[in-house]
Order: sequence, then structure tokens, then C-alpha cells
Amino acid sequence: MSETLLRIRDFTLAQAGAVKPAIAGFSLTLEPGGTLTLLGETGSGKGVVLRMLAQPIRRGLQVRGAIQVRDGAEQPIGRSMALDLRTAYLPGPHANVLNPDASVLSQLTLIVARKLRQPKTSARAELMVALERFPGAPTLEAFDHPPPLIAPEVLATGLLAAAVAQTPDLLLADDPLGELSPAHARSLVSALKAEQKRLGFALLYSAARAEAANLLGGNLIVLRSGSIVEEGPIARLATAQSHAYTQTLFRSVSAGERQSPDRSAARGEPLLRVQGVQLVTRGKLSARDKLNFELRRGASLALIGEIGSGRRALARALLGLDRVAGGRIVFDQVDIGVLNTAMMARLRRRVAFITGDDDALDPRMTIFDTVSEPLRAHLDMPRDLIAHNRDAALKRVGLAALPGGRTVASLSPFDRRRLQIARAIVSQPLLAVVDEPLRGLDAFAQSVVRDLLRNFRSNEGPALLVVTSDFGLARAFCEDGFVFNEGRVVERGSIATLLRAPQDPHTRKLLEAVAVSPPAAAPEPQKPPAGFTEPSPPAPAP
Amino acid sequence: MSSEALVETEIRGSRLRAVISAIGLAGLGLIAVIVALSDVIARAPAGTLRAGPPSLPPDIAYAFGTDGLGRDVMSETVHALAVTFSGALLATGIAVVLGAVAGFAAVRAPLKLGVALRGIVGVLGSLPVLLLAVVAVSIAGHEIAPIAAGFAASPTIFNRSFDRALRLARSRHAEYARATGIPALTLLRRDLAYEVRGNFLNVAGRALASTTIALATLSFLGFGAAPPHVDLGLMIAGARASYLDLWWPALFPALALILLILFARLAAALDEGEPP
Amino acid sequence: MWRDRLLRAAQALGSLLGALVLASLLATLSQHPHGFWPFLSAFCAKLPVVFGGDFGRSAVTDAPAITNALAAFPATLQLLSGGALIALLIGIPLGAFLSASRTLRAAAPLMQIIAATPVFVAALALIWIAVRVLHWSEASQASALSWTAFVKPGDWSAALHAFALSALTVGVAGAASVQLSLRRAAVRAWSAPYRNGLRMMGLGTLDIDLRYAAPEVLAALLRDVGEIALALISATAVAEWVFHRDGAVVLFLKSAALGDWNVVAAVLFLLAVIKLVAEFLGLAASWFVAREDGAP
Repeated sequence: MSETLLRIRDFTLAQAGAVKPAIAGFSLTLEPGGTLTLLGETGSGKGVVLRMLAQPIRRGLQVRGAIQVRDGAEQPIGRSMALDLRTAYLPGPHANVLNPDASVLSQLTLIVARKLRQPKTSARAELMVALERFPGAPTLEAFDHPPPLIAPEVLATGLLAAAVAQTPDLLLADDPLGELSPAHARSLVSALKAEQKRLGFALLYSAARAEAANLLGGNLIVLRSGSIVEEGPIARLATAQSHAYTQTLFRSVSAGERQSPDRSAARGEPLLRVQGVQLVTRGKLSARDKLNFELRRGASLALIGEIGSGRRALARALLGLDRVAGGRIVFDQVDIGVLNTAMMARLRRRVAFITGDDDALDPRMTIFDTVSEPLRAHLDMPRDLIAHNRDAALKRVGLAALPGGRTVASLSPFDRRRLQIARAIVSQPLLAVVDEPLRGLDAFAQSVVRDLLRNFRSNEGPALLVVTSDFGLARAFCEDGFVFNEGRVVERGSIATLLRAPQDPHTRKLLEAVAVSPPAAAPEPQKPPAGFTEPSPPAPAP
Repeated sequence: MSSEALVETEIRGSRLRAVISAIGLAGLGLIAVIVALSDVIARAPAGTLRAGPPSLPPDIAYAFGTDGLGRDVMSETVHALAVTFSGALLATGIAVVLGAVAGFAAVRAPLKLGVALRGIVGVLGSLPVLLLAVVAVSIAGHEIAPIAAGFAASPTIFNRSFDRALRLARSRHAEYARATGIPALTLLRRDLAYEVRGNFLNVAGRALASTTIALATLSFLGFGAAPPHVDLGLMIAGARASYLDLWWPALFPALALILLILFARLAAALDEGEPP
Repeated sequence: MWRDRLLRAAQALGSLLGALVLASLLATLSQHPHGFWPFLSAFCAKLPVVFGGDFGRSAVTDAPAITNALAAFPATLQLLSGGALIALLIGIPLGAFLSASRTLRAAAPLMQIIAATPVFVAALALIWIAVRVLHWSEASQASALSWTAFVKPGDWSAALHAFALSALTVGVAGAASVQLSLRRAAVRAWSAPYRNGLRMMGLGTLDIDLRYAAPEVLAALLRDVGEIALALISATAVAEWVFHRDGAVVLFLKSAALGDWNVVAAVLFLLAVIKLVAEFLGLAASWFVAREDGAP
């Protein structure tokens, strides 16, 4: 049996007329059953390698290099190369690779049928068998909907099943875990590794974050701007990193673990007071389903849970975006339940949003307009003062070098995220809602955005409401947290307590997903921490 | 596509659009100059009979020839172009204000009112602009033909603007903006700035082209300009009886009309309206 | 999904009722009310009558206005149908061709240069070509005024030529609308991110185009039937006048000139019905082909 499944030598690819190539002098060797991760930021060239293997090279590209499969003859890389290799492509659920209007099941069945050259009925059976191997996987019928109607983690499972059903020699995984919650990512990696062991395929994995590399093991190639920075076994590079750039990528993994927020010194009156609010209205209700808590000025609270767990519903209710059945929410000493739309809008001026949703900013607007708008809309400021504040905010987030007339549509997700922070800075909010701010960003971008958020919090001092499925992020920014599951708060308390002694199985599952270690400091005092107080429940109504 | 490639494509596309738009504006500018100097450029006032021998084909003396009544076709074309152009500008102003601006503003009105308005205007938009203009002229007289054309063209523009504004109002970025207290008036200003002001040349250019066509067709059908204020449509209608033999009294006004419409569309950078 | 469809159907019905209201407003003019309140009063009296299908009588022929209008409609529908067929025959291949490559897609807006010609100018040009170049008729100058006057009874060839010219005028105008609609849909479908994704996952271009892109394009075209119908009706209005076909639009124009508002109202209502029904049928057909926001 051949020792090598795939060998690529000096692969270089450039757009015609481009200043620098997308990838230059890239080489790899992959054994049957081996795992190789390509790690790098956006634009590092990792995707180029996968696309070269997954589909014919487009016309108009300048390509060099050679490729060899097993003991076959080496052939030049180009449009006419013929690889005696069964490959399967595994994208992420957010990559929009499927038709958004057609049933996922029909698309996956067709793909498997075409790859295996079998009728669709046989392909469907293969898909079903592949799914049944994944613990807790849904049935085929769960996939008989268009992609937008299927939860990302379910879709990711379906895509994996379709890929392994093709019994490939080489699985090309294009960051399929990238935007999944840590718990689901771990679950998917376990399934992937089990299938790899069973079927013996080689795995070439493209990752923007080092967490994926840590989970997969095997070998690692670190790429930057189209060139190899470093390569070797993960076990060596994760602990004894030699290159400064690799250290940056791996440092961002543990950044969330090591840095906990400083308890804010400023503690004012309660900014947000919740009394008897109930999110769940159906099924067996208990007294525990009624929420009572306060969030003081400058404090922080994490709402932790998977998508659909109820964390966003609470965030929306707290901001008055959705009505809740019963209870009372008081924001800045005003009961929002009695406000009309216009009054509510005035109240919301003191709220900022920073979200991982790339549609949060108007794509038509320019950079300058995006940052200036809150100042023009809410404050009666002269133009030069608006410009001064705007420029200062852009400088703080590192966007000052970009032309102010550039539209949001032309910005990368990383730039848009920073622009959101700049807009939040000028708003001088009392409350900042931070919703999965690191989603879809590569390792370097994540570390920058984390630092900017810390800087924003320490300078502007808003209260923070963090909505996330990542305990690491919650730990990095929040003192206290609620853990959600199926619309209910299953556990609550200080983050330190949740990390040290999680009571609920769901909390433990979320913690295991990110493998966040509890703090080694002295036990937290038992009295309720400042900034997060739980007042006695209101007296029952007569 | 990477963000750098996207920026490059955006810049190339906007440069090309700017060049096309500049050509269109230059053409419209030239027409405006001709219109302003029509009394100087034309060798005779509008409608002057026996300015030259009748039915003369184009030659050096009469570049566009003369018609059956001896009128200089070039002079008549210049005067008719002036009437058409000024009428189309008025109609365009009405269509843009009543159509584009009102469409965006209506979305910000209380929802039921906006939707009701959309429904009413939607009914008007289900009829051809031309026929609506005919009704308006029949009721109010030929003098209001440009106003009628403007009113008749505005429902279509209103409906498109309303639908676009509604999509924008329901977008994620609008929801986030409202969630941070950005007032409805600011969001309306944002839409007007980017969709109407930012796209003003596109909106106005397209409106100018469609109102010119509507006005010329109205006149051709006999519901537009009336003598002595002859426009290009009426000129072509008048030449229709004999144009199979005397082609020049119909051709040159037709070319002038086509050029006006073409330059208006070029000024709009050949924008085709609703984005996909 | 069904809720959305019922809403669309309700909207279509609402538009039809709105067209009846508009027709009532116009028909009220036939009573020559002077002043706002008399007009309003006459309108309120007229509204239920028109809703009952009675548009009043023609001031010219004294026949029921709706009868006059319906009698003239077959000629209009003939021209509209012929024009629609030509519009599809020209517009679909043209739209497909212009969306085939990036260069062609970028150059496609140049079609507007050709489309800058108003319909009546194009109609006159076609007649000139037919007489002077193709020699379809030996008629004298008078033929331009009354083409059909020289079509003798039983002279099917001449009648066909006359119809073909008028239908071609309408069809070319409609083709511009068809190709635009098709091109927009094709560009959307062919630049969708899933195309590359499905190719990388192992599907061929033919599979992707036939199963996913083509239904989307067809559905988009069907959803635009209303706009295409409006363009065809506008072109038919001009073509009827230029080619002297005694259709509904010529009746409309003559009635408007003579102040015969009941007939004007009836014709306008029937034209609105054509457009609204075509729009709704196209929308309904698109539901079977592909969901508006999605799934087939």
C-alpha cells in the first residue's frame, strides 16, 4: 500500500494581473487516513488549496506546480489534470453552498447519487445509513426543508453524512465547524473522527481558528498571505510554537480562558430591573420560570445558551423589542411596558448593539455616515465636533486609514465588526448588547475584536449584556451569567461559580465544549456580587 | 469574492457608470443649449410657412429640407425640441417628487395609511401611463399635458419606491437601527439620501426618458401639444400623411426625440431600475 | 406560505375593486356634476351601479357602454396575443443570450439604446420598411393613413401582412420587457453562491442549471407577467392607433376626445382587469414552479 496518498509540490496560483499570488510555493504530503489542517486568516490561501482539489481550475488563472496521487505519475496542476482520487467536499452550514430554496434532502441525495453513480433511491439509503452512525442525529425527514429552515448544527450533520456517504479517499473540509457553537463543534468533530477511523479517508481541513486544529490533531500547516509560515505536528506546534505568528493564532484560543473581566469599580443605581418576567408560556410552568434580577450600571451579564435556547428572546424582551407575558421590566427607572413607540425609541438611544450579524449595518452607508449617524440623530452637536468624535472612534478601532467614503458593502466582516464598535463608542451607551461578536472571524480578527471590546468597556463603561453560546467569551467579558436551555434559565450565578461548580447538565455540556478551566483563585464570597442583585420577589398581587 | 476584489470591481463599475452618465449629461446639456438658443439657431419662428420652397429634400441650403407647406424642417425641429424638452422637465419634476420622494415617505407613515396609499396607487399603476395621461388631458385640457404626463408617470415610480422602501424598512439593519433609538425620520432621511439623492441622476434620468416618451406619444395621438406650440410628437403626426414619400419631415424630429430619450437614459447610467 | 398566498389573492381582488372605483369616478364625469359636493354625491350614487356591472350608456351610440367596450375588445386581444407571442419568441432567446457571459451581461444595458425608440416611431419605421423596402404594398401615400382600408375582404395575405406589422410593433416593445425580466432573473440565479458550492460538492453544471437555476428564472419571469402585460398593453394602445385597428384602445381614445366617459370607464376597467388577471395568473403559476422566497 502506498505510503503517500497525495503530494503537492510548489503550488502557486495567481489571478491574471494580480500584484501577488493567492498562494505561492505551497507543498504538502498527506498519507492515507492522515489528518492535515491548514490554519490561517482570511486571505491566507488555505481555501485556494481546497478549491484546487475540489473543482476544475477557472480560466484566466496562472497556475504552477505539480501533483501526485499515490504512486501515479506526477502531473502539472492545471485545468486538464485528472486525479485518480475520490474526494468529497464538506462545507460549513453557513457557507451558502446549497440552494436556499430547495429541500436539503433532495440536494444531498442528488450529490451522493452523482458521486457514487447510483440511482437516487440507493443514494438516499446510503445517506440514511451514514446518519444513523451519528449519535443523536436527526432522521432524514428533518432535512426535507430548505436550508434556512434547518438549524445550523443539524445542517452540519447532514453535510457530514453526505460527505462520508461518498466513501471518499480524501475529505476536503472547508471550515465546517467555523460558526457552530463549541458544544456542537465538539460533537461534530467526534463524529468526523469516528468516521475517519472507520472508513480510513484522509482529511484535509481548512481552519480559521486554532480550536479546530486542537480538536482534530494530526499535522498542521500555518499559512499567511499565501505562504507557509510553519508546519509540523499539532502536538508540537500547540505547545512549543516557534513562529511569532503561530503564537498569535494559538494565543487567541486561550485568551478567553486567561483573561477575566475586572469587576467594575463604578456601581450605580440599577440600570435594568426585571420582575416576574416569564419567557415560557406553555407546558408545565414553575415558580422558577419567573425571572427576577437587576443589572447595575457598569455591570455585565452573559446570557449563555445554544440557538433557540431562549437567550435572545430574553435580550429582545429586555430591550422592549418583544412583549412578554406578565412581569415588569424597568430600564433606567422607566417601566418600558407603559411606553409607546416614540418614547421607547428615546429610551433606546442609550443602547448600543455589537453583533456578529453582518447585516447589522446598512450596506449603502459610508464609513463616516455609519459612525456619525447616532451623533446627528441623538445629539445636537456642531458638525466639526461630530467629525472629531467620529475620527477619534475610527482611530481607536483601527479604521482611520480607510477612506471615509467607502461603503459598508465593500468592507470585510472584520472591518464591519470594528465599525460596529466605533458606532457604539460614539453613542456613549448605558447598555451595550453584544451578540456573538466573534462569529465568522478568523483567529487574528477575533483577538483584535476582543481587545477592542475590552477597551470599549473600560473606557466608555457601559453595562454589558452578552448573548453567546461560548462560555469562554462569557468569561472574558462578564461577571455573571444565566444559562439557558429550551426557553428556561437552568442555572444562574457568577461566571466563576458556574465554571467552578456547574450544577445543571446543560451547563456542564457547554463548559466541556470550550474546555474552559475554572479559576484557580480563592473561592468567591457567598454574598451576591455587586452589580448583580436578586431582589426579593414582589409581593403577590391581591 | 475577497473584499479587495469587491472594492476593485465596485470602483471599476462606478467609473464606467460615471463615464456613461457624463456622456448623457453632456448630451442633455447640448440639448439644453440648443433649446435656450432655439430662437437664434432656428432661421425662422415656429410655424413659419413658405420659409423655403415646399417639399425640398435636405440640401446645403436647408439641412433638414422643407415640408409640404414650405416650413424649414430644421427650424421646426429645434422649436419642437424646445417644447418637448421643457414639458418633459416639468413632468419629470412632478414624477420624481410625487413618485420617488412620496414613495419613500409613505412607508414611514402609520403602517395602515402607507399600505392603503400603496393600494390606491397600485391600482393606478396597473394602467398604462399613456391612458392615464389621456384621461387627465381630456378632463383638464391640452395645456396641462406635461403635468398630466408627470402625474401619470408617478404611480409606477411611487410603487417601486414604496416597495423598495418597505424592503429596506424590514431589513435587519433597519431593525438594529430602531433598536438603538434611531428615529423614523432619520431612517427616512437615510433612504432619501442614498436612494433618491444619491441616485438622483438615475431616478431623474429614467423619469425624464419615460415622461418624454409619454408626452411625445400623447401629442402623436392628439392629446398633447396643440398648435401653435408644436412638439416633436405632433410634428411626427403631422408628417405621417406623406412620410412614405417625404420622409425628412418625419425623420429628423424622430431622431431628435430618440436622441433626447437616449441621452436621458445615458445620464441615468443605463440603470435598469429595480435592483435584483 | 399559504397565508402569504391568500394575502396575495386578497390584494389582487382589492386591486380589481380599486379599478371599479376608478371606473366609477370616470363614469361620474358623464353626469357633468359641477363642484366638489355634487361630484361626490353623484359618485356615491354611481358606485354601486358600476359595482353591479352597469357602466351606463354611451353618449355617442346610446348603447350600453360595457357592450361597446366588449365589442371592441376582440381586436385588441388579437393584437395583444400576437404581440405577446412575438415578445416571448424574441425576448426569451435575447434575454438568455445577454446573460450568457459576464461580458454580455455588462453590455446588456446597451439594449436601452435600441429601446430608446418610442413605439409610434418604431411603428412608422416598420410601415416605411414594409412599403419601400419589402414592397408589401403598392399603395399610394394614402396607405399610411389607412392600411386596412386597402385590405380587401378575403385578401388574407394583405390582412396577415397588416396584422404581422402591428403585432411585430407590439412584440418588439414587449420583448424589451421580457428580456429585461429574464436577464435579471438569470443574473440572480447564475451569480448565486450555491452554484459554486454545489459544483464543489460534486454536481455538474447541467444538473444545477436544469434543477435549480431554470425553475428560479422561470418563476421570476412568471412573477413579472404583470409588468410585461402592462408594457404590451401600452404598445398595443399605440399600435392600434397607428395601424387603424378598431380595437378597444381606439374606442377609448375617441371616447375620451368626445367626452364619452362611460365608455372610457368601461374600457379602462377592462384593460385593468387584463393586467391584474395576467399578473395574478403569472404569480400563481410561479408558486408551482418555485416559491417566491424559495423552495420549489
